[in-house]
Amino acid sequence: MMISPATSLASGAADAAAAVGAAPTWVLAIPFLPMLAVVLNTLCAVFGNKTKLPAWITVGCLAGSFVVTMLAYMALSGETNTVTAWHWFDLSWGDGVGQSMVANFGFYIDNLTLLWMMFVTGLATLIAIYASEYMEHDVGKGYTRFFVAFGLFVFSMLCLVMGDNLLMLYLGWEGVGLCSYLLIGYFYKKPEAVAAAKKAFIVNRIGDLGLAIGVMLTFVHFGTLEYEVLFNSAQLQGYISAVQEGRAGDVPLMAQLIAVFLMIGAFGKSAQFPLYVWLPDAMEGPTPVSALIHAATMVTAGLYLIARMLPVFLLSEWALPVVAWVGTITALLAATIGMAQFDIKRIMAYSTVSQLGYMFAGLAFLSSTGGVFHVVTHAFFKALLFLCCGAVMHGFAGQLDLRKLSGLWHMKGWRIVSIGMLIGCLNLAGVPFTAGYFSKDMILAEAFVTPGYGYSFLGWVLLLTAGMTAYYTFRVFFRVFTGPVQYEAGDEHHGSDDHSHEHEAGDAHGHDGHSHEDHHGHFHPHAPGMRINGVLATLSVLAILAAGLYFISPEKHGWIGDMLEESTAHNIYTADHSSAAMFVIDGDAHGAHGHDSHGHAGDHGDHAHGAHGSILGYDPHKVMYYISAVFGLTGILIAAWAHGPKGLVSGFIGGRVEAGKCRMDGVAAKLGPIPRWAENKWYVDEFYAFIFVTPLRVVSHIFHMIDKLLVDGLVNLFGYLPRMLGRGAQPGQSGVLHGYALSMAGGVGVILFIVAWVTL
Amino acid sequence: MMTTLAQSGFPEAMTTLTLYHYLFISAVMFTLGLIGFITRRNLIVMFLCTEMMFQASGIALVAFSRFYLEYTGQVFVIFVLTIAAAEAALALALVVLLFKRNETLDGSVWSLLKG
Amino acid sequence: MLLPLLIVIPLLCAGLIVFNPREQARYIAAGGSLLSVVLGVAALMAFDWSKGGTDQLNFIMDWVPSLGLQMSLGTDSVSLLLIALTILLGPICIIGSFSAIKEHQKTYYAWLLILQSAMIGVFCARDLVLFYICFEFTLVPMYILIAMFGSSNRRNASTKFFLYTFTGSVIALAGFAYVAWQHSMLAGQWSFDMAELGATARSMNLHQQSWVLLALMAGFAVKVPLFPVHTWLPLAHTEAPTAGSVILAGVLLKLGTYGVYKFVLPFVPEAMLEYAPLLAVLAIIGIIYAGLICWVQTDIKKLVAYSSVSHLGFCMLGLFAVNSVGVTGSVLYMLNHGLSTGALFLMIGMMYERYHTRSMKEVGGLGSHMPIWSCFMVFFVMASVGLPGLNGFVSEIMCLVGTFQSGPWTGEAGATPGGTFGTLGPVYAALAGLGMIVAAMYLLYMTGKIVWGEYREPEGHHEHEELPKDLNAREIGVLIPLALGCLIFGLFPAPLMKAIEEPVNDTIAYVNAYNVDGTGRHTEWVHVEHASHDDHADDHAHDNGHDDGHGDHADDSHSEEDEGH
Repeated sequence: MMISPATSLASGAADAAAAVGAAPTWVLAIPFLPMLAVVLNTLCAVFGNKTKLPAWITVGCLAGSFVVTMLAYMALSGETNTVTAWHWFDLSWGDGVGQSMVANFGFYIDNLTLLWMMFVTGLATLIAIYASEYMEHDVGKGYTRFFVAFGLFVFSMLCLVMGDNLLMLYLGWEGVGLCSYLLIGYFYKKPEAVAAAKKAFIVNRIGDLGLAIGVMLTFVHFGTLEYEVLFNSAQLQGYISAVQEGRAGDVPLMAQLIAVFLMIGAFGKSAQFPLYVWLPDAMEGPTPVSALIHAATMVTAGLYLIARMLPVFLLSEWALPVVAWVGTITALLAATIGMAQFDIKRIMAYSTVSQLGYMFAGLAFLSSTGGVFHVVTHAFFKALLFLCCGAVMHGFAGQLDLRKLSGLWHMKGWRIVSIGMLIGCLNLAGVPFTAGYFSKDMILAEAFVTPGYGYSFLGWVLLLTAGMTAYYTFRVFFRVFTGPVQYEAGDEHHGSDDHSHEHEAGDAHGHDGHSHEDHHGHFHPHAPGMRINGVLATLSVLAILAAGLYFISPEKHGWIGDMLEESTAHNIYTADHSSAAMFVIDGDAHGAHGHDSHGHAGDHGDHAHGAHGSILGYDPHKVMYYISAVFGLTGILIAAWAHGPKGLVSGFIGGRVEAGKCRMDGVAAKLGPIPRWAENKWYVDEFYAFIFVTPLRVVSHIFHMIDKLLVDGLVNLFGYLPRMLGRGAQPGQSGVLHGYALSMAGGVGVILFIVAWVTL
Repeated sequence: MMTTLAQSGFPEAMTTLTLYHYLFISAVMFTLGLIGFITRRNLIVMFLCTEMMFQASGIALVAFSRFYLEYTGQVFVIFVLTIAAAEAALALALVVLLFKRNETLDGSVWSLLKG
Repeated sequence: MLLPLLIVIPLLCAGLIVFNPREQARYIAAGGSLLSVVLGVAALMAFDWSKGGTDQLNFIMDWVPSLGLQMSLGTDSVSLLLIALTILLGPICIIGSFSAIKEHQKTYYAWLLILQSAMIGVFCARDLVLFYICFEFTLVPMYILIAMFGSSNRRNASTKFFLYTFTGSVIALAGFAYVAWQHSMLAGQWSFDMAELGATARSMNLHQQSWVLLALMAGFAVKVPLFPVHTWLPLAHTEAPTAGSVILAGVLLKLGTYGVYKFVLPFVPEAMLEYAPLLAVLAIIGIIYAGLICWVQTDIKKLVAYSSVSHLGFCMLGLFAVNSVGVTGSVLYMLNHGLSTGALFLMIGMMYERYHTRSMKEVGGLGSHMPIWSCFMVFFVMASVGLPGLNGFVSEIMCLVGTFQSGPWTGEAGATPGGTFGTLGPVYAALAGLGMIVAAMYLLYMTGKIVWGEYREPEGHHEHEELPKDLNAREIGVLIPLALGCLIFGLFPAPLMKAIEEPVNDTIAYVNAYNVDGTGRHTEWVHVEHASHDDHADDHAHDNGHDDGHGDHADDSHSEEDEGH
């Protein structure tokens, strides 16, 4: 039933076969500048530096890396280039095809890579600036450690997206996993942080195994690990044309399995069902880490993998449908959990899981532009949201419970945070004309037009999820930022128990002078300083501007579509199955929004197979803007009714007068135990513990016993056998001289007898 | 002549001393020594019994030596005698020590090698 | 003369230690081992790396001419790398023991040096009897080190170590003797030259080869150790002094894998192909079983000891894959495991000196108390987990890739250019790959207990009188070469791969000689299959995961084989 990818692959195959050039050596600076930061920071640690130097080293190097990335974008955009730093794996056992295992420490730069490089380095720089202030209570203690891991993360992430072979991708893949482990466990005295770090690493390892098997399968099947060779190999091209011509059955099972295994890897890293459980726990790490690693960059690695290996994914008949279903299930599941949480950082974490589900679904709906566009917009607004949460956490001594915070909008020094939060929430909720709105719409519309295994059902589920997203997003905003000014301080500072919170007098730390009704004695909230506010403002602007990407080169569905066209994730969206038919139906560009470009792909008229779907008889691309806006706004309205402050809209909407009480409490009470189940994450963790961890632990203990008793017991038995024999013969040793003499004489006698008997 | 003697059966008459006579004496001496060693308890007597067995083997060696007209056996006997003398000195000294320990010459008292 | 010097110098130093009336044992030992390092570097430079497959730096002296015995030394690149590892670990062990060993110093350092000689002898011997003598002689110093300098249960551990490995290698000797006897029958005179014996052994039929394989594996598998003959290892490791554990993990275990590489593969390739699946199953069981056992340990040293069993399972798997990637990976594994696990044992030793306990229940959370130690610990744990960029990854992934591609792939009419000849396959690799997850589980469990968390110290703990709270300069100096090794081998393994490419490919060639019909299938079992049931052909294709579309391909190749027979 995979006709659509087949038909759309013609141009993709042609693009992949395009010549690969040599990139200038200076692009090596992009990954190695962060590495330089790591080395310098390590030296800082060695020499016992107790200042903020590590932060500035990191910021400087990352900014340099970003600048070089921009230069690379200007110089190399639209081309595919490789550059090799050194030979990493280099082994051959013959001269034939596939008789060598070559993986260079080299980089492959095409538009897809550039896209990721830009937002990774850009966001990393901003978040490093933010972290330089956020982490300052740890100066001299964990500060250097933090920035070493931070730099290492950026290096690994760049290796992941820039690597020119699958092993480099794997290197980055596990490298980011390591940094995630180190940074989640940053407050290593806190048992939850340690457990969360361990969980993240191990769950990721499960995915990594899938990736590793996928890589090995690719190597064995295609005889190469290098993208350049792989995407240009006659074998792959042959399979692609087989799929194109409807002979999908001709692609060997092994080649189809590659995508399935790679997909498992992607699910692990990008926190998809059933491997998503590590991501919410990962919020134990410092907030800049949550923003950078667990929201904006690392978790999109799975998306990158699928986008990069899209030609291979298209060979498989089931990989993409599975991705679609899993993505949707994840989106819904995480949204339901997110609605019932009270920890604002965890809500954001679940929303990340949920949004990643959207992106996966988008890729699976063959809307790589939609998926990747959502990656980019999400990176900005989610980083913004996390950083705002982080500012709150930083200022209120670790307080993250939305029942204990209220009215931050009205407090002095918190306005920028509040505005940033609002912008982030609007994006996440998909309010019209925000970046998040455009990118989500692309995915949603594609769900209805792509023929597939229940895709329109998935579309409805995703729409519902969009409404839920809007609800829980604004639940946070209304509860924490609006309403009466009330707050309670958190009881700890990120688990570093010896930390004493310092108020830097004279700094831009505003204090709310009034309404300290129910907070602890001398607690003063610690409003964010210059650097945090600056970063938040910058990100807010960027999150708004990201919407503009949609209007650049509209004929390719935005700048992202333009970028992807020249890469392996060649935009199937533009070459899509429905647009041609739409073109015929509408015969005109859609002017309704002034930006609609869905209908512009008319040059693909030969794809008119008429298999596109519809929403209630309307064309999805046309009506999705309205439908999703309705779902989003409804969610916001419900949130406003339930959590909005009194006086938001006089009378009907709002009415919350206290931090801890709202209208939703009554609703929740009527729902019985369901909210509690959702708050407890549907007991998935407990289920996993019951199904996997405990049995495995029991098995391990059994193995240990077997090893001690059975395996080693047998060995000891062999040792005891001679001893037992000796015991048996022991009574013969009487110790009496005459006994020995007699037995000797007897022995001589026996020998004589035998000799006599033999000779005579 | 000698060879025929060696191959003939047991000597009928005691007119000439053949190898077999010597060997017979040797065997008898050895057996006596062995029986004495086994049956007696007195350490000195037991030691003397071993000496007897020694001498029995010495007789056999000398007899063979004469029989084959070779001196190896005789040389060997001289060695044996020398060593036996040294041994005797050593053994008697040990016996004295053992006696001092337990005030008895009964060999069955000692059973330290019991397994 | 470099190789004999490398063997003799530690012996001379040992003699010097014994006969020197003054208490300078540790300095003489350190000096001697550093001198060995200098000579080792000279050997590395004198070696012509472009001809890695040829024995170089040869030294031949008649020994017992009537039996054809020779003092024959030489080294190819694989052996030389292992010699280099041995030499590197020498001073690390000796200098690392300065504060741990207070009594019987002469005995300790003298035996350490003698052990080094014996190990180098194993790697550069080119005469079978010389090899075997060195191989067995390594037991004596190790026995004494464990029995005299070990912890509480040392007598039991040392006895078991000695008897277990000794029994195994005596059986291996029987196998060698059989091959030598065969050689003397065929050639009319005795010779123990390894190359000549190899040629003889390869000419034996499958039945004979299988018995020789069994005998050799009995010796080498115990040494490695392969499941289920591994139980001496955790005990010996736990009880041994730190340096003993380091040498044990770093080099002595590698004698087993080296033996498999040097003798089993070239001597009995056909039997190897035949039994590789069986042996690989044992290796995989070892990987997962030992890994899970690690996960429930409380004794940190025992955990690392069991992890050796698990890790060496990968190493063996690479060898059983009998293809270039697998065997190269396996050889690299020998080096890398020596560095990372050796380092872990050193780290544990350093902790033990300060806290006098190995129980993770009693001590933990050292991150705040011993930051330098903790940094190194996390680093080496990551090397051991197989984090890309560090050394463990390179060898582990190569062993897995080798296993994966070793199978009847090339029969599919060029459909799988990356496949090689062999008798394992993707299922083996996938199952072994579970070991990666298990490794992360137990090593992070260990790190979580010992490095992270609140600081815990055993009751009645007091500061060491000599050593500082965290590592001192000497200890850091000992760890740095290992850390650098991990990093360099992880980032720049290509030169190593190139260096051992030739000898490995030579070894593989013996196995590939059985790839007669070019299908990648072992001729014997193709034969058996066809003889027993003809319709099995299709099942076979399915077993190997080919879909219906390729079913006819498989049939084609089979019918060709039919004609061939």
